[in-house]
Amino acid sequence: MMYKKVIAVVVVLAAILFYTLDSDKNYRVLKPQLKASIISHESDRVLPSFSLIDHNNHRFDNDNLKGDWTLLLFIYTHCPDVCPTELANMSLLKATLANNDSIVVPNIVAITFDPLRDTPEALKTYVAHFDEDFLGVSGDQKTINQLVKSFHAYYEKVLKDKHGKEFILQAKDPLPDYALEEGYIINHTAQIYLISPDGKKLAEFPTPHNIINMADDIDLIIKHYQK
Amino acid sequence: MKKIASIFMSFLLLGFIVTPAHADLGIQVDDPWVRTAPPNAPALGAFVKIYNHTNQDVKLLSAHADGYKDVQLHRTVEADGMMKMVEQAFMPIPAQGSLHLKPGSWHVMLINPDTVPKKGDTVMITLTFDNNTSQVVGFKVRKGKMMMHHKMH
Repeated sequence: MMYKKVIAVVVVLAAILFYTLDSDKNYRVLKPQLKASIISHESDRVLPSFSLIDHNNHRFDNDNLKGDWTLLLFIYTHCPDVCPTELANMSLLKATLANNDSIVVPNIVAITFDPLRDTPEALKTYVAHFDEDFLGVSGDQKTINQLVKSFHAYYEKVLKDKHGKEFILQAKDPLPDYALEEGYIINHTAQIYLISPDGKKLAEFPTPHNIINMADDIDLIIKHYQK
Repeated sequence: MKKIASIFMSFLLLGFIVTPAHADLGIQVDDPWVRTAPPNAPALGAFVKIYNHTNQDVKLLSAHADGYKDVQLHRTVEADGMMKMVEQAFMPIPAQGSLHLKPGSWHVMLINPDTVPKKGDTVMITLTFDNNTSQVVGFKVRKGKMMMHHKMH
């Protein structure tokens, strides 16, 4: 009986050890200092292979997330409140990082949930309003859906039927013919993701976004990465 | 003479009592604004603080603006881990209270503008309430303040 207990304790300790040492850099040691972000679990960091189109009609794939730090968010341009707020926040975050004399100011990439309406051209005009350096990304809906899923992000479309009654369509559901004419809104998660120069999701920032705290966390994580 | 003065005073007093219940002063708006948006923005948010100085709860029933395909009342809510845009049948302004339409919360959604207004422009929006009043309000187009976490009120 005693023997079994010892084994159980050893297994638990081994699991804890494995959990805390699951990363070569062990970003979990940063946890007590982080104010606005959650460090991704190692198994969540690797992004699936994807290929999309940026707002200059260039291919945008995993390689575009390598070499530099990136802050990635999902948006859609028919969004009157949340997405413009987030993009304005990203512009403010950039200025805050620059002001803090941060070593790195990440690139900002905004991928649309809604490529059907958000063509590369539409995205270019839209994101440039917030910052000339922001990059909008569109592409195939199926690829975007896979990417959204891999980030554990989520969205759903809200449409109205002939009687004006609202109903919800999931990402996989086909849109009715009248949807483009009548319009629809999108309920969505609004996390912002920090991608390391090796193209992995290192951390995410849940809502609401406090820019000062985000800037502090980004500095901390990047310094830890560069150690 | 005293009688005349007394009647005069009564009128003054009556005027004083009646004035706060006057419909025109019952609902007041403060700082109406539309957030600057990209030149191709399909939707814009309009925000305002609405005061209800009456003793009755009042509902904002609708908003209308020329040059837009539709104008809807919306509220952004965080639910199920998502930011949801929920269309509202009305917005409640409590008696002797106020309702603040602001980013991330209650807002008027201006859909498919003929032309996206520029910074400094004024968008005229008619607000219609359930106490049979309506107001045409000029919403100034400006950048959003850093509203999400600013500490000034």
